[in-house]
Amino acid sequence: MIITTQKPLDEILDFISPCSNILIAGCDGCTQPPRGLREAKTLRQLLELGGKLRNKGFVFKVTTVVKQCDSFLAASMLKPQMDNVEAVLSLACGAGVQTLAELFPELLVFPAQNTHFIGAEDREGGILEERCVGCGDCLLAQTGGICPVTRCTKGLLNGACGGSRNGKCELNPEKDCAWILIYERLKKQGKLELLKEFRPPRDYQLRGWRVTP
Amino acid sequence: MSEQVTEERVALKLNEDYCGNCSICSSLCPFEAIKRDTETDKTFLEIEKCQVCGICYSTCPAQAIDIIYYDIDSLTRYLERAKQKYDCDTLVIICKGSSPDFAEIERLFGAAKFIPLSVPCVGRIPEEVFLKAIVIGIKEIYVLACDENYCRFERGSPVTGRKILALNLLLEQIGYGKEVITLKRNSLKVKADRDLCIGCGNCAFFCPYDAVKLESPGVANFELTSCRGCGLCVAMCPAMALELENWKGKRISALISRLSLEMTKPKVLVFRCQWSVFPPFDEELAPNVRAIDLPCAGRVDILHILEAFQKGVDGILIAACSEEDCKLEKVSGKAQHSVAALKEKLSQIGFQDRLRFCTVAPRYPEGFDRELEQFSKRIEAISSKESKE
Repeated sequence: MIITTQKPLDEILDFISPCSNILIAGCDGCTQPPRGLREAKTLRQLLELGGKLRNKGFVFKVTTVVKQCDSFLAASMLKPQMDNVEAVLSLACGAGVQTLAELFPELLVFPAQNTHFIGAEDREGGILEERCVGCGDCLLAQTGGICPVTRCTKGLLNGACGGSRNGKCELNPEKDCAWILIYERLKKQGKLELLKEFRPPRDYQLRGWRVTP
Repeated sequence: MSEQVTEERVALKLNEDYCGNCSICSSLCPFEAIKRDTETDKTFLEIEKCQVCGICYSTCPAQAIDIIYYDIDSLTRYLERAKQKYDCDTLVIICKGSSPDFAEIERLFGAAKFIPLSVPCVGRIPEEVFLKAIVIGIKEIYVLACDENYCRFERGSPVTGRKILALNLLLEQIGYGKEVITLKRNSLKVKADRDLCIGCGNCAFFCPYDAVKLESPGVANFELTSCRGCGLCVAMCPAMALELENWKGKRISALISRLSLEMTKPKVLVFRCQWSVFPPFDEELAPNVRAIDLPCAGRVDILHILEAFQKGVDGILIAACSEEDCKLEKVSGKAQHSVAALKEKLSQIGFQDRLRFCTVAPRYPEGFDRELEQFSKRIEAISSKESKE
């Protein structure tokens, strides 16, 4: 999923202060919890309270989109609601915000979230961790389903580096050593021979900027 | 100056002088708070375990148990006053745990005019009170109790069933006609609007009872027999696709609007879990304080809190049971967590001190009053500082 966190309210208030009629657009898409209707309504209330302190009143409309980064869905759900709207405050990730900015070039589109990475969340503890950089050359079949590009601090493709202590990374003792995890996983799968394979440096061009499916 | 240690007032007392050691109380207590010591053969009360359900009080043949809430005297006084106030001869007794909107009660019993009596567990009401109601001229009594497996006090609901059966027989024998008391069962259950469901799985994750299964393609499916109606999933649903049936969030929004208008400054609103505070019938809150009872702290809704601030409420106190006392599966802890998360956001606009989550228990009746007093003082200080600025 995409990991985002809410921007400080002051920063959002600074963005929207020049405007009065604002649409807050939630996104039911990839985050956990989804920044959908409830989050959008919560943000409206918080901004109204914060606005009062600045003696600034807003007229908010609140809505949500199944996936803001899908321009078809975003257009079909948002276009009918755009009367009198001066600005859109988007609760989506960076991709969603940019989709809206493209769809409504005449409007101001602001992000309400900071987008961090593609990751996974442990719901129990609310911990968010990066799991994928979108390298375009997925290695997970050779590494027991554990991504060394994101989870090894050094991003090594041929680990371990030798600096691991008690299964933890020498650079960040709180972090598990990805290559120890990979070793343990491959051992369980009886596929330790995969570690003997040499993986050449990644082809950074594969990451690219546009893909044709 | 010597330190004064005053003993905390407790809600339930066992009077050994009257106790005949009959063991009815200890056999009925759902929490093993009243026990019989096999060595000394004496019955004793461990107040720390007591949840003040009142089942022991209502069944003790020797009246050896004193209870602060809803004792025979206060119930009788209430009935006498309410009989005049409502001017009708139908009484509706509901357990707060299962109680839907009063409009729904009208529909359930087909009674347009009635005297409402809402108590935490109908099982706590002694037979004597039913009979007193008949004596003062009440012709029909409707009882809305929880489904037996839903009772927050485990045994309250079954006890109610047996009590009413026996009372109806008795009333028939002495010539009051058949079925004077009508018993119906009801339990709050979640209702999903499947059109709004986005399949995120939050309800399934938070539900303490495995009452939600995620079905392909990710739409939540509720297994209503296991749903215990805490409302946690409702408060957590990002798509706002859930409601407790007949206990709508909109009603609370309307209540917030109404109460915020009638309160004086500085306005203090209390959201309280109905199991953490048992307000007396004649509860008189200060003119600047109003309270909204919730079926469980799990139904504390972040949006309701923000709505209240919006409507000009100066401070919000949330009273809940401690995790150990929670009648459900540690739901109050989850509620506390989400209130803390909101507080963090509120701190960005300087509202953090206006919101407080406290845990109280009815076994210590003064606990809530103390929390409320402290919080009111804090809000008063914030308000007076604000008006000076």
